[in-house]
Amino acid sequence: MTPSVPLSLIAELTHRCPLHCVYCSNPLEMQARASEMPAEAWIRVLEDAAQLGVLQLHLTGGEPLARPDLNEIIAAARKANLYTNLITSGIGLNADRLAALVNAGLDHIQLSFQDSDEQAANDIAGTRAHAVKLELSRIIKRHRLAFTMNIVVHRQNLSRLPAMIALAEELTVDRLEIAHVQYYGWALRNREALLPSRAQWEQSLEIITSARDRLKGRMRVDFVGPDYYAKYPKACMGGWARSVMLVDPAGRALPCHAAGVIPGLNFDNVQDHDLRWIWEHSPAFQKFRGESWMPEPCRSCDRRAQDFGGCRCQAMLLTGNPSATDPVCTLSPMHEIVEGITNRPPEAPPDWVYRIDPVARA
Amino acid sequence: MSQLSSASQPKLRPGCRLSDSPQQGDVLLIPEGILRLVGPGKKILEYCDGQRTVTEIVHGLQQAFPSVDPSRIESEVNTFLERLHQKGVLELS
Repeated sequence: MTPSVPLSLIAELTHRCPLHCVYCSNPLEMQARASEMPAEAWIRVLEDAAQLGVLQLHLTGGEPLARPDLNEIIAAARKANLYTNLITSGIGLNADRLAALVNAGLDHIQLSFQDSDEQAANDIAGTRAHAVKLELSRIIKRHRLAFTMNIVVHRQNLSRLPAMIALAEELTVDRLEIAHVQYYGWALRNREALLPSRAQWEQSLEIITSARDRLKGRMRVDFVGPDYYAKYPKACMGGWARSVMLVDPAGRALPCHAAGVIPGLNFDNVQDHDLRWIWEHSPAFQKFRGESWMPEPCRSCDRRAQDFGGCRCQAMLLTGNPSATDPVCTLSPMHEIVEGITNRPPEAPPDWVYRIDPVARA
Repeated sequence: MSQLSSASQPKLRPGCRLSDSPQQGDVLLIPEGILRLVGPGKKILEYCDGQRTVTEIVHGLQQAFPSVDPSRIESEVNTFLERLHQKGVLELS
């Protein structure tokens, strides 16, 4: 089928990160520093992306600030007329470096917080980062730059959701993104400790809905729910290879962050093929594009153009079959797998595993 | 000020900007979002300079499009700006 035009490119510039968040969305198998693409290769990718029709560039990692050539990459993106969004922990940023990034053309900074409570935040990150983020927030406000505060929520911190919203108001951010953990990568490893109860999830929805109403016109509040409790699956990435492309630190192009968990997919490298060829012809991008791969009940479902059958990686991780209906869907014949996880009686959460940095393999 | 009124002087908030791309047409790029601009959307936003009031923006559009029913322009401008305001895209002074 003829693909639509991609709107966003997610550039994972590095997998190195000073934080060790227990819910990191990076894959368990990460790319080492030695395999990272140089700035020239990234710049060619950005220019190709803009040619292809991409409008927004999301610079992420790992921690993109770990790259000294970040400024050069942002300047090239802006020159190619891309909207640039920096997704960052803030570690490695100071007033001078931020001024240089803004000067290079940065449009939006999305600063991650782990909690409103300093000790709890540092426990999640495995490092003392919270105070640095508070200080940076004040520096960010000196610039004409869109400022998003992002907080990932889960069983251990949901009781402080009102305090997190109050912190966002105090720091006068433009946008607050509250995202429940999505269970891939490191988060899946730590699911027992992170998955909220149904009551916690429902309460979080009420709190967010009322905050969103109260703050309308002042602060945009976006919310991502935990799909294990949803009735229907999320439209993951807006549909497989429909509007988003991701390039990893080594130059592999993927339809999403987690696609590496699907066996048998070969991800073409932007250093071997141009981006348009990959978008239009790479077998990994074609694999679940459109509807022909869909099994029942998706194939004849009225919602198939809304949720695209849900998430292929989640289907793989929970059922072992990447072509199955996403089992979070209440219509899935395998939904009992998800119910088995969500109905488990709450126990004392086990210790979690911290994300470790990529190391060069021998 | 958080309510949009005829005396508000709207402009785009930081990190929200117009773009025209050969493949995608006129769009408003915002944090984590893309709004497609159809009809007079782009023109309205070009008048949102933080100086003109909503009333002046309506007048400007009415002068630019003399053949269009002025009351229709007024309601289109108000609806459009209110929608953008709800999305947190505008700064009001």
